[in-house]
Amino acid sequence: MNAIMRTSLALLLLSAPASAAELTVLTAGDQNMVDYVNDYLGPLFEKENPGNTVRVVGTGPGDAGSQKIVERFTAQSGAGSAKWDADVAVVHEKFAGPMVEKNWLLSYRGDIASGKLVTRSNADMALGTKVSGFVMPMFNSQTALAYNPALIPTPPKSYDELVAWAKKNPKQFGYNGIKGGASGVSFVMGWIYAYGDGSADKLMNGPFEEAETKKWDKAFASLKEFNKNAVLTPGNAGTLDMLSRGEIAMGPVWVDMFYSWQANGQLPPTMKLALPAPGMPGQPMHYVIPAKSPNTKLAEKFVALATSPKVQAEGIVKRFNWYPGIDAKHVQAELDKATWDKLFTSITPDALAQYGKPFPIAPYNNAILEAYERSVAN
Amino acid sequence: MPGSPFPRDPFFPKIFLSHDLLPHDLLLGSSPVMPRYSLGLALVLPALTIIVLFFIVPLTASVIGAFRIGDGFGIGNFEKAFSLYTADIIFSLAVVALSTLLIGLFSIAIGGYLVLGENPRAVAILRWLYRWPLFIPFIVVGQILRTFLAKNGLMNNILVGAGILTPLQTTGLLDWRGIVIAFVWKQTPFVALLVSGAMASIDRGTIEAARNLGASRFRILWEIIVPQVRGTLSVGLILSFVTMMSVLSVPLMINAQSPTMITADIAFRINSYGDYGVANALGFISLILTSCVAWIYMRQAVKERM
Repeated sequence: MNAIMRTSLALLLLSAPASAAELTVLTAGDQNMVDYVNDYLGPLFEKENPGNTVRVVGTGPGDAGSQKIVERFTAQSGAGSAKWDADVAVVHEKFAGPMVEKNWLLSYRGDIASGKLVTRSNADMALGTKVSGFVMPMFNSQTALAYNPALIPTPPKSYDELVAWAKKNPKQFGYNGIKGGASGVSFVMGWIYAYGDGSADKLMNGPFEEAETKKWDKAFASLKEFNKNAVLTPGNAGTLDMLSRGEIAMGPVWVDMFYSWQANGQLPPTMKLALPAPGMPGQPMHYVIPAKSPNTKLAEKFVALATSPKVQAEGIVKRFNWYPGIDAKHVQAELDKATWDKLFTSITPDALAQYGKPFPIAPYNNAILEAYERSVAN
Repeated sequence: MPGSPFPRDPFFPKIFLSHDLLPHDLLLGSSPVMPRYSLGLALVLPALTIIVLFFIVPLTASVIGAFRIGDGFGIGNFEKAFSLYTADIIFSLAVVALSTLLIGLFSIAIGGYLVLGENPRAVAILRWLYRWPLFIPFIVVGQILRTFLAKNGLMNNILVGAGILTPLQTTGLLDWRGIVIAFVWKQTPFVALLVSGAMASIDRGTIEAARNLGASRFRILWEIIVPQVRGTLSVGLILSFVTMMSVLSVPLMINAQSPTMITADIAFRINSYGDYGVANALGFISLILTSCVAWIYMRQAVKERM
């Protein structure tokens, strides 16, 4: 009996590889983010690192999901835990800065091969906070105006043209306000970039000055006027729903959602995208590694794989229609022409570079939202 | 119901007032008062602990949080809540009050038909059908109605297809009307279940007597049956009121306009700003509103027992 037990114990010990670990990945965002890791990235990583497993936890869509990750980290930091219960987290841009400022994160970009493939400025500055080294962008997302070319042969090239068009075609433009998802928020931010009396650059890059927040009254008054000609839609998906049912002819949407819906047949293939001047915001989602992760080396390996050109091409661009997190030129080589063209037909790389803006830095962001609540929604 | 010739509705006290027997038993019980008292306490303790731990403590923390500003205390959160969301508070109250009224009317109608209906097949079908929405979560109701009530949604498509409307006449109902429809659709079965139970157990003799004297069915329902089930009806409506005040999914799914309901604002304060202060203040305001309704009910319940 004793012998059997001892043998089996020995076997058990031998069979477990020394490096076996469970990598815990927290991700904000919709269910598709969880599916991405569960169905694609996780198995790929487990194949390359036998014996290790990946466990993914979705914390929910939108800022609320990232907020939950922040609260989890706050709790563990407050409790003084030596090892936290997460190895990798995927968070929205707005939350990366505060995490860096609180010294919760590992500076790892220099340690991984794909770190050199990122040069875009939003990987160094996240809404006014320096984050270079601490984050790797998983993807870049962009908002744009989706429109029905049957009703609108030439889409508005600027916010001015849009306002004129909406006046002539009342209730044909729809957006989801600011409480139903970020595509509406993005439209409002673009409005302030276009019509605010202050400098848009300051909103995007800081520093925060109280005086700047007083310069939007005129812009919000005109937005309130504009809203009379617009329809308010229930959520990001609500705008796409109304477009596909023909209830509106134009509205701001996330580019990746737009393409995914078209691919699923939820949106007519004829619909197109346009990015008006002076631009609309987009945002990356970032991979971060908590400094107190129990498996930092493995976590670095995971992020290195996730941001390698191959995975960025196959997973991010092809599967999800997101713009890649690392520089596009490194990804192009891994992609067939059709996929590449699809992503850049409606909005050319030049237009994207010119009119794809970041969101305002966090304090301005909040101030604009609150001013909207005060003067437009009230 | 003092002086009422009718027996008290048995359904109502059984479910909602049985706890008022407890203190009487414990305090005024027969000879060995103390042992029974401590035994009772021991039995209540686990439940009490759970209530204190999971309900009273978080509630207190939320109420305190509503008054906390930075390191001190003040009413700044409330000032902000009222300056930004007064319209939403009034909107929530109006929508929920209207829904409660409609739920009351519909559940009386359903209960009344189940008691007074003369076609047994129709009664059986209604009895089977009306409970269905009870088992459907609010979020699913929101999701169903979101596509059903849209401007070019299923309902309008049917109306246009049937030639009742032209495409240009259609309007979407995805605003306050959609919320009211969702609430009434979902909560009516709950109240109707309580009310029809109470109606079924009142003394049939009172109905028969009224019928013998030539009263119409509507008059029997309104003047004989409804007064006898008033207690159950108000309990059902108050529980519905409180439930509807706390629903987040329906306003999020259906109502894109502003104003919107307080719950959507609370979620927005937390998710977009991480601002628990104003969220707690809004929660506190919502608590006051529901407490007022509960207080009206308590007063009535106490008066009826006197």
